[in-house]
Amino acid sequence: MSCGNPHETDCREVLALVYDFLDGEADDADRARIAQHLDECGPCLRQFGLEQAVKSLVHRSCQCEQAPERLRVQIVARIRQVSITYRSSGSSD
Amino acid sequence: MLLIAATDGGPSTLNRTGGAVGLGSLAMTGDAADGGPAVMPEDSTTDAAPEESTEARVARFERDAMQYLDQLYGAAMRMTRNPADAEDLVQETYLKAFAAFTSFTDGTNLKAWLFRILTNTYINIYRKKQRQPYQTGTDDLSDWQIAEAESHTSRGLRSAEAEALDRLADTDVVEALAAVPEDFRMAVYLADVEGFSYKEIAEIMDTPVGTVMSRLHRGRKLLRELLEDYAVERGLIPAAVGTEGGDGQ
Repeated sequence: MSCGNPHETDCREVLALVYDFLDGEADDADRARIAQHLDECGPCLRQFGLEQAVKSLVHRSCQCEQAPERLRVQIVARIRQVSITYRSSGSSD
Repeated sequence: MLLIAATDGGPSTLNRTGGAVGLGSLAMTGDAADGGPAVMPEDSTTDAAPEESTEARVARFERDAMQYLDQLYGAAMRMTRNPADAEDLVQETYLKAFAAFTSFTDGTNLKAWLFRILTNTYINIYRKKQRQPYQTGTDDLSDWQIAEAESHTSRGLRSAEAEALDRLADTDVVEALAAVPEDFRMAVYLADVEGFSYKEIAEIMDTPVGTVMSRLHRGRKLLRELLEDYAVERGLIPAAVGTEGGDGQ
């Protein structure tokens, strides 16, 4: 699909790189090509905007997860306990 | 315009483990502490680093590894989808990590290392238990096939839709994410929430980078469709827009 205008880089090629671009995995040359294409092509820009919205949404929605304080206390206690066992088992086995 | 805030979201709980003194005394007064002081050369046979006492290792672990508790718990919640299992999974992960901590070398990516242990632990314990039908059949879609599929729907996409999605409640997003098959879901989670690189995700999930990329493609596509459904249900976008892409109802 295309906006009908000719582009140096084909829409399909740009869309195939949408995640590389948004995830910061595209190299400089690709980033420049994509950026230029997005300046010229409304449909691709909308597509990128939507993908970015989904990515940001996931980031935002999963940020608030907080482990119960009880879990932290429990883990630290277990680790200290285990470290004692390590030390004592050193002499017995 | 297309910038994503690369927020790491790391909780600043580093000072929590400042109690190295109390730690030492705790370790010494334990019933099983018959091995004498921790700093004994003989301890190296129990796989402790020769130059590091057990107390020091515990303190180092608490200082360096415990700061990722919330993040590991968040990932565990997305994996197990319930708090009780998530807590067990995180605890098991930390115990395994501590047991292996002597072999962990400074300078390695500790966060990725912990996430890898989390993932392995989950696979070994919970996934086997669940015996879920496991969807990997679509892993091998090539990028261009996906781009092709997306190009057909892009005609129905409007920036208004992106704004509508943004108005979805967090609970809707979490619910939608939970409906995405596990491997896809975790790839998306690791990339979007934790900001891991493809290479790091590949290491965490023990899979080639190409597989990570196709999981991200598939996961995001599914997620986007689910989110669009939610947005229509919530009246944030008119049904006509949601169905224009060709997946009509």
